[in-house]
Formats: sequence, C-alpha cells, structure tokens
Amino acid sequence: MNSYGIFLALLGAVISVLLSGIGSAIGVGMGGEAAAGVVTEDPEKFGKVLLLQLLPGTQGIYGLLVAVFTFMQTGILGAPADVSFIQGLLYFAACLPMGIVGLWSALRQARAAVAGIAIVAKRPDQMGKAMIFPAMVETYALLALLTSVLAILNIPSINL
Amino acid sequence: MPIAPMQKINICAKKKDRKKLLEFLQIMGVVEITDIAENDDHFKKIDTSRSMEIFAENAKIAADASRILSKYIHDKTKVTSLTGRKAISTQDYYAFVDGAEEIMRIGYAIIKAEEDTLKYKNKIVNLKVEKQALKPWENLDISMRLTGTKCTRAFIGTLAGDYEQDKVIGRIKELSPEVENFAVSVISKSMDTTYIFAICKIEDAETLENAIKKLGFAYPAKSTKKLPIEKMNQIDEKIKSLEAKIAELEKQIKSYVGANNALKFLCDYYSIRSEKYNMISKLLHTKHTFILTGFIPENNAENLKILLEEEFDLAVEVSSAENEVSPIFLKNTAFASPVEPVLESYSLPGKGEVDPTPVMAVFYYILFGLMLSDAAYGLIMTFGCSVLLMKFKNMESGIKKFLRMFLYCGISTTFWGVMFGSYFGDAVEVISEVFLKYKITIPAVWFVPLREPIRMLTYSFGLGVVHLFSGLFLKLVQLFKAKKYKDILYDVISWYLLVGGGIVYLLTVPMMTNLLALNFILPSIVAHIALLAISLGIILIILTAGRDSKNAFKRLLKGFYGLYGVTGYISDIFSYSRLLALGLATGVIAQVFNKMGAMAGSGPVGIMVFIFVFAVGHTMNIGINLLGAYVHTNRLQFVEFFSKFYEGGGKKFSPFSIKTKYYKIKEELGNE
Repeated sequence: MNSYGIFLALLGAVISVLLSGIGSAIGVGMGGEAAAGVVTEDPEKFGKVLLLQLLPGTQGIYGLLVAVFTFMQTGILGAPADVSFIQGLLYFAACLPMGIVGLWSALRQARAAVAGIAIVAKRPDQMGKAMIFPAMVETYALLALLTSVLAILNIPSINL
Repeated sequence: MPIAPMQKINICAKKKDRKKLLEFLQIMGVVEITDIAENDDHFKKIDTSRSMEIFAENAKIAADASRILSKYIHDKTKVTSLTGRKAISTQDYYAFVDGAEEIMRIGYAIIKAEEDTLKYKNKIVNLKVEKQALKPWENLDISMRLTGTKCTRAFIGTLAGDYEQDKVIGRIKELSPEVENFAVSVISKSMDTTYIFAICKIEDAETLENAIKKLGFAYPAKSTKKLPIEKMNQIDEKIKSLEAKIAELEKQIKSYVGANNALKFLCDYYSIRSEKYNMISKLLHTKHTFILTGFIPENNAENLKILLEEEFDLAVEVSSAENEVSPIFLKNTAFASPVEPVLESYSLPGKGEVDPTPVMAVFYYILFGLMLSDAAYGLIMTFGCSVLLMKFKNMESGIKKFLRMFLYCGISTTFWGVMFGSYFGDAVEVISEVFLKYKITIPAVWFVPLREPIRMLTYSFGLGVVHLFSGLFLKLVQLFKAKKYKDILYDVISWYLLVGGGIVYLLTVPMMTNLLALNFILPSIVAHIALLAISLGIILIILTAGRDSKNAFKRLLKGFYGLYGVTGYISDIFSYSRLLALGLATGVIAQVFNKMGAMAGSGPVGIMVFIFVFAVGHTMNIGINLLGAYVHTNRLQFVEFFSKFYEGGGKKFSPFSIKTKYYKIKEELGNE
C-alpha cells in the first residue's frame, strides 16, 4: 500500500503543473495574439504589451512551485521520506487548489490582460492602470498557492 | 510641502508686446495659461488653428526629412530618454531661426528625393517582373505578335503540361488527323508549361487551333512586338538607367548631411511655435491689448512679476487661488519623488486631499523589497540602476525617476534578502556543497521564511495593518485640515478602535497566538480593554455611518451597513499574504534552478552546465519576479492603501513651456 502514497503525491504535483501550466500557456498565448496586433500598428509599444502578455504566465510557475514543494517533502527530490497511503492522499488534496484555481485564474487573467493591451493600444499613458486589472485576478492564484504550499509543508507534522 | 501651493495670475499687456511676452513666458515655463471662456463685445478671441496646423505640418516635414537623412548616413546619435536632449543656448536658438527658410527648402528636397527613389524602386520591380515573363521566349527569333503570313497561320503561346517536341506533334496528329502540313517547335519548357510556336496552312487553322486548345493552349499574357531578346535587353537598359537615377538621388540626399541637426532643430522650433499659437487662442484681445490668466506656483510668482514689470509695460495681478480648482504640482524630496509617477498613474490628489507620496514611498520600497527579497537580485538592481544613473547624466526626468525608484527598491530588496538569508536563493549552499564538497551556509540575520512560513505570514499581516492604519491616519490629516473635527471621530477613530481592538483581542486568545506562531501571552486585562474598544467602535459606527440621512430609521440601517465595512478590513489584511507568496516564489524558483544546475555533477562539464543554467535561470527569475513585485506593490498601494483615504481626481500642472524632441533650449533666466 505504501507505494500508492508516493504515487498519489506525484499525481497531485503533476496535476498542479498540468492544469496551471495549461492555463498559463493559453493565457500567454491569448496575450501574445493581442500584443502582436498592437505591434503591427505601433512597434514601439512592444515593451509595454510584452509585460501585459506575461502577466497570466505566473500561474504556470506557481504550479511548478507546488510540485517542487511536494517533491521535496516526499523524497522525490532530496532526502528520501516515507509516504503512507493517507499522506499521499493528503498531498494530492493539497495540490488541487493550485491546479484548479491556477487554470481558471490564468484564463480569466488573460482576458483582463487582453483588455489591458487594448487600453495600451489606444492610451499608452494609462499603462499603470492597464496592469492593475489583470493583477486583481492574480490575487486568487496567489491565495491558492499559499493554501497549497502551507498544506504541503505541514502534512509531515500531522499525526495519522 | 508636497503639493506646491498655486496662485492665480492675471496679466494685461499691449498687443505689440504679445510675441515677446509669450516667448518670455514660454522660456520661463512656470505659468499654466487657462482658457478664458468669455467672448463679449470688447474682448475677442483669435482663432489660430490654421497657423497651428501649418506649424505642426512643418514640424512633421522637418522630422521626416531628418529621419530619412539618418537612414542614409547611419546616424547613431539617436535621442532617447536615456541619453537626453542636447542643450543649446538661446543665442544659438536665434541663429538657427534665421536660417529656417533655407533649411525647410532642404527638408522638402530630401522628402521629394526619397519619394522619387521609392517610385523608381517600384518601377524596377515591375520591369523585373516583365522581364521574367519574357524569359521563356528568349530563343524565339520572330515577333511574339506574329499571327501568320498570307497563306499561313501561326500560333505562339503556351501548352499546359510538360511536352517534348515529338510528343506535341504526335498528340496533334492524333487529335486532328486531317491537318496535313503543320510544324511545331518547342521554344522552351518549365515545370508544367511548354512554350511553343506552331504554324500551318491558313485553311487548316481552325482545326489545328481546336487541337492545340485541347492540349491547353493559351496566348501569352504579355507579348511584345519586338523580338523577345531585344525587348529584354531594352528592359535591362531601363533598369540600369533607373538605378543610376536612384544612385544620383542618394548622393543628393547624402549631400544634405550637414543639415541634419538644423532639421531636428527646426522640428523643435515649429513645435514651439505651434504651442505658442495654441496659447494665443486662449487669450482675450481688445484692439490694442490682451489679457492672460493662469496659474503659477507661489514661490515663482513674485519673481516673475518683478521680471515682467522690468521688461514690459503691463499690469500683473497675483492673487490667491484658494477658491479655485488649481492644477497639482508635486514637489517631493529626492527620496519620495521617484514614486510620483506611480501616484500619477492612479490619479493626482483632488481638492483638499494631501499628497500621499512621502508615506507611500516608504511603504513602496519596503513592500517591493519583501516581495523580491533576495540580496543578490537586490544588488544587481542597485548596481544596474546606479550605473545607468551615473553614465547618463543628461537623461530625461521621467526615466530618471523610474530608475531611482528601482534603485531604492533594489536597496530594500538587498536588505530583506540579507534578513532572510537569500542570495540567488540557496546558491551559496549548493555551490559550496557540490563543487567544494564543504557546505557553507550564510545564516539569515532574522529568519528564513521558507522554513517558518507562518511566522512570515503573521508579519505580513502585521505590516498590512500598519500600512492600512497609515492610510487611515492620512485621512485623519485630511479631515483635520478641512476642520471636520467631528468626522475624525466618526470615520477614523471609530475604525481604529474597532479594527485595532479586534486585532489586540484576537492576540489574547491562546488559539490565535498558536496559529500565528507568536509566543507571547497578553494579560487578561488587555482583553477587557480591547473588548471595550471594539464596543465603542461598533457603537460609534452604527450611530454615525448613516449621518447623512435625515430619516432616523434609515440612518440606523446605514449605520449597520457601515459596520459591514469591517469585512473590507479583514480581506484587506489577508491581501498582504501575497508578501509571503511572492517571497516564496522568488526563493523557491531560484532553488529549483540551482538544483537543476548542480545535477550534472562537479566535473568540468558540470561547472559549464551549472554556469549556463545559473545564468539563464536567474535572469528569467529576476525578470518575472521583478514584474510580479512591481505589479503587486502597485496593487497594495492602489487598492488596500488608497481605499482608506484617497480619491484623487486632480489635474496635473502643465505650464506653458518649451516642449521639444531633440534639443533643450537653455534658459538664460535660470529657471529649472
């Protein structure tokens, strides 16, 4: 049964990377399409729209963070550790917030970022505001990251 | 005083002095001229839009010409916001102005030459296409337009498909056996087209035509009366002569190199004049005089008045602007001014609001540093910004502020990195362990957030409370300045009591202190005081939050709704958890890259791999987390901090001044 534990933990880590990575990939892609449109008209806005394009890219990184924390705790990376079946389930559950919220928030953040790119296209001086709207969405990805990381870090200290 | 106090200025002067007076004001650059709306029998406005258009047009021509020139001479002295504009003296300015007409002529000539060059280049492309179409007919030694002689009929054209000469003849014989005498010769072939010449007796023409049409015969799209080879030679000659013309034009353009600076200057000169005429349209004129009104910063007012009265015959009146909505001119210390653009990108202070820049700057640097929190990254930022700031002394003020902001953020990042023991993540440990076989750890001065995340979370909330309470304090200052003393009690003190009391009370509950990893116990008397404060706060808010309503019942309901605002405080405080999250993100990604780099072992290949992964990985990490820290610091300021006291809505002070692209006109009058 013990080998199922490590499998479940790995599955959780993989889901966290998969979902948030897919979200960010789609999100950054959407941003890129919109940004390319602006650059055809005005190549000098490249730097500004690039920043906006990158904003939905962070979820993918947060997903990776959760995976790395899981790996370190379960001995996939670094010192080997025993993972019981129930602990594996706990790791799996702990990874879910980042995966699911990461996917959804990246998609929604991308739409806000695309709208922000439209702001920059028309009013480049309003760049500061254009960046804030997508950043609002990112808050929830950050909260999910915190939830996942805090849970993963404390699972070994739960007595089961 | 962060917001420079403004005064209103009225000037009445003679019309004949108008040009000189406006130029004087433009060079001084301290007066924002307001548009006077009235237009009665005595005072008239002048429509200057036509002149403005002409000047703007001229500025554009000069800029275009200069851009064309730069293309030909590979002008490397590009003016960017980093290098800044070159300064020229007022004397040089007037010397340039005298030569304006001649330079304009050169500008037109350059643009005309460039247009012709483009035209010729297009022509060459067309000729080359034409030549390409004739190429397959190169070996045809009769005119392509030949249709036959008295008794013969000739067909010149293409067949669809790739045929040998024998095969064409064979196919035609198959298709029209009754045609006896005909000849076909294949001139050339390409992938799926055969270029043929066919001839037959005139009476067989129709039958032969039907036969070859079945083989996909078509007349050439472009034909020539001359022999193809002759025509091709002719095209070559035409191209040559066009190329010669282009070279000639290029030489002509290059001969104007000396005028490049003058053209740039001219662009600035016409922009300045266009701006001046824009101002003229805001003035009121009588037959011999005109009136100008505007705003001027208080400390410039007296000085300008004296200078104006010395120079001109006029009447100047400087009065208090207290009852007016005056434009905002921020004046902060060198420490606080770098975050002015951040405030500006939200909104400038509205009427009666204080300038939050000094308070905001302190928190801005601290929060940014906490989010990035790596000493090595901080040093890179500090170093990079200092080098740029020292190398480009002449840079424009916008980019200067931007770099200075990141310089201070870099220093703060370094500080927090040292506190938390992070140098490129855990690079020191990894390098020493893998390559030196001896683990060296630089201990954190304070603690390592990665090992004690809850402790970091608690401090994040704590800093959040301080930040929010500072915002609330600024509201207190505003209300105090507006002499709304009662509102201070209702809107500020009440919340201090409720939120502050609430936090203190939570800290007396052992479960909470355990949860927050705090190891102190407050005496129970504190809990009683805290509860008292909470109750006072609640009562105050319920009783006063709805004080605008006349209806007592509605007032009470609104009071309860006001109390609901406490949820806003809770979510605001939790929002500071992003300090922990972003700090972890930087640290852990850095660790991942260090680990990846060390995977190839400690041999020579391992060292190479490590250096490569290290360089690429940390560059990426610094980039993405810098962006994250910047965006989220802004958010904490805009959403959490500003919502406590700040609305904005002020208009920026934009004085009538010299706004140029290439040159700075040095004011002799010494006003910066």
